[in-house]
Amino acid sequence: MILTYAGAAIGMGLAVIGAGIGIGRLASGTAEGIARQPSAAPQITVATNLSLFLLEGVAILGLVFCLVIVFLIKS
Amino acid sequence: MHPVLAIAAGQAPEPQAATDAAGTVFDAGDVIIKHVANGEHPLIHLPTLWGIDFSVTKHVFMLWFVAAIVFTTVTVLVRRFLAQPRLVPSLPMNFLEAGVEFIRDDVVLPNVGKKWLTAWTPLLLTFFAFILTANAIGLVPIFDVLGLLDHYVLHTPENSFLQHLIHGGTTATGNFNVTAGLAIVTFMAIIVAGTKAHGFIGHWKNLVPGGLPWLLYLLMVPLEILSMFVRPFALTMRLAANMTGGHIALLVMLSFVFIVAGLAGSWIAGVGVGLVVSVPLAAALSGLEIIVVLVQAYVFTLLSAVFIGMAIHSHH
Repeated sequence: MILTYAGAAIGMGLAVIGAGIGIGRLASGTAEGIARQPSAAPQITVATNLSLFLLEGVAILGLVFCLVIVFLIKS
Repeated sequence: MHPVLAIAAGQAPEPQAATDAAGTVFDAGDVIIKHVANGEHPLIHLPTLWGIDFSVTKHVFMLWFVAAIVFTTVTVLVRRFLAQPRLVPSLPMNFLEAGVEFIRDDVVLPNVGKKWLTAWTPLLLTFFAFILTANAIGLVPIFDVLGLLDHYVLHTPENSFLQHLIHGGTTATGNFNVTAGLAIVTFMAIIVAGTKAHGFIGHWKNLVPGGLPWLLYLLMVPLEILSMFVRPFALTMRLAANMTGGHIALLVMLSFVFIVAGLAGSWIAGVGVGLVVSVPLAAALSGLEIIVVLVQAYVFTLLSAVFIGMAIHSHH
């Protein structure tokens, strides 16, 4: 039983680490792009928005499946 | 009585919530789940047809409530605006117009294109208005106030409509069934958009690019079909998990008060922890929740617009 909770907790942590790294790289790319070409800021923002939300959605999916493990697996 | 309502009423929580001595311990998990989920007793019992229980639960009631609010607000504002001899927008109409123009010009137009703009703007505006209102109502503690009113003033009997109304969470979009319904609408909209733009066969042929070796088709067709279903599923879970997660975090902060009071045995410790830790943190979290409410409504609308646009412009 402990292993179930430990597995779910480790899974959640890894999902959040992945999201953090991914969104950090996206943000750094965006900031650099806007710094090089401030007049292109709206286009760069729009191009970043979509990937940002998709990545966040993936992280939330991971968290939700870990929650499913905790609440719905009867041992 | 609900321990959070006791604190909200400015009095000490009843002894049974603070110490073990009277017999009932504060069960944080139970309280939190009950405060976020659908509520155990349906408000209006309806018969079970074909294996589906049609009773009206709290989230169904909130769906109708939110729909009524959005419908009456928008209709009254716009009718009153259009009935004037000279079209001068009032202050609420200005806000509505700013919102509509924002969605139409910055979300729908870049993704869907000018040709299909008037076809898809109403749907996306409806998504935005409905999801924003449904998310925001979760932040307004009106049903907790009704519960206080009921406990101290009205004293309705145990099984009344009001008693069932105050249990459970008010965020309809925190329930993944509700957001699944919205995502199914997006799923249908993607297929309809592709069909109207390229014909029925054309839409399905556009899923995979043409002119590839047949071995790649063997890989790409199942992948594209899978992604067709994964996208609405991700829309569902993104909105539901964001809404529920925020509320659970807020309730955990507030539960520290009662857990500490239970551990220390006196309610003063609980109130101390509340004043120093819980209430400021809960206030900050509520501020973050407001941002999340706006962003999640915008993201759902934006992603629906992007997917519809991808179905329309898929011949590139």
